[in-house]
Amino acid sequence: MTRTLQQIVLLTGKDLRIEARTRQTLGLVIVLGILIVTVLGLGLGSGQQTGALGAPAVLWVAYLFAGVLCFEKTMTLERQDGALAGLLLAPIDRGVIYAGKLLSNLVLMLTVAAAITPVGVLFFGFDLSPAPGGFAAVMALGMLGFAAVGTLFAALVSSTRLQGGMLAMVVFPIILPLVIVSTRLLNEMFREGGGWQASSLLLLLAFDGIFLVVSWLLFELILEP
Amino acid sequence: MSALRRGFNVGYWLLAAALFAGAVAMVFVNTPEERTMGMIQKTFYIHLPLAINTFLACLVVFIANIGYLWQRKAWWDDLAAAAANVAVLLCSGVLLTGMIWARSAWGQWWTWSPRLTFSFLLWLLYVVFLMVRASVDAPQRRAIVSAVYGVVAFLDVPLVYLSARLLPDIHPGNVQLDPAMKLTLAACFVPVTMIAAGLIVVRYQLNRRAAAGSAAARLVYRPTPGLTPVGEAA
Repeated sequence: MTRTLQQIVLLTGKDLRIEARTRQTLGLVIVLGILIVTVLGLGLGSGQQTGALGAPAVLWVAYLFAGVLCFEKTMTLERQDGALAGLLLAPIDRGVIYAGKLLSNLVLMLTVAAAITPVGVLFFGFDLSPAPGGFAAVMALGMLGFAAVGTLFAALVSSTRLQGGMLAMVVFPIILPLVIVSTRLLNEMFREGGGWQASSLLLLLAFDGIFLVVSWLLFELILEP
Repeated sequence: MSALRRGFNVGYWLLAAALFAGAVAMVFVNTPEERTMGMIQKTFYIHLPLAINTFLACLVVFIANIGYLWQRKAWWDDLAAAAANVAVLLCSGVLLTGMIWARSAWGQWWTWSPRLTFSFLLWLLYVVFLMVRASVDAPQRRAIVSAVYGVVAFLDVPLVYLSARLLPDIHPGNVQLDPAMKLTLAACFVPVTMIAAGLIVVRYQLNRRAAAGSAAARLVYRPTPGLTPVGEAA
């Protein structure tokens, strides 16, 4: 058990160290996210037509595109210099490789979200004060499910030399249930009076669980150097 | 053998066409006109069989995907592709008939009510399945990619259903049907299912032939232009 954890930390640490030294992904993705929020904010009339509750939806769009770029980047790292072949030869379970990739993707995404969210909240005049913890928790849970599916399909797509954009096309329809449930939960939390339903939160947790288990099971089938 | 098979094919499609014509006749002659919705309610007799067959086709895709991941036989992949094609076709039918009905009953073509959202997301999932297949060239790789995607997509269907239920609903639920309406619905269900199954089989056979054709083409020797084999140089 501790050995598995060590391996996961090692793999994640490697990915994050590469990112910290090259700074290839984060800057690009954060700027892209801010651009998306800006374009949607201007397109929607600076939040006057949608109201403040438009902010979570706009942020979701930004997270989705930013996330897809993160997943692509962490997987192409392995494509260079036959790194993936080496990884597959190493005496570790492929589920561990999945967990490592998932964890580094999540860390990247949360970093990006930490940068984009204030921009969206400011631009749309979204009042976080009723439930700041709830907002963070729902978004984080949504991202967990998104990253679970994204990590699987990033590995799948990267092995086929598909054109860019394919990953977004594959992942978006799959994770739409997550978007529906989490925006619904946020609507419940931030509407007048607050009060959210536990059933929606349970649904969100269940989706995360299903996505995690299914992706983890299928991951080892598709990993090829 | 081949003549027998051809005879069976012709008979099958003739029977399906005849049953379909009979069902359409029944829709207009046998069923009473619905009190509030009038004639437009008749789209329902094709809408529901199409919807049920969409699920059946998606189930075939899923079984074929699992079969491929389990056995790695190419014919599973051809079956999945065939069923996915038919599923998208049927689901388009569901959406179109539903929209025609909604325009008349609700006064608008589209609304984000649970069952509409569900059918549309289902359609998207399987359209993407076809797009993914179209963009991978290597047959084996394509089969694995689409099988993994297909499995995740099918498991996603109940999740889409559960999440869509959170949206406000105006779709008719369990409607009470007149016995004549039930009979007509059953009469429509048979030919629609026959056509769906027939299309899957035809498409599957076509895919098998295409695969055999490209496998044979790879065996044919083609000299590279501009390169002369050693020893034949002038």
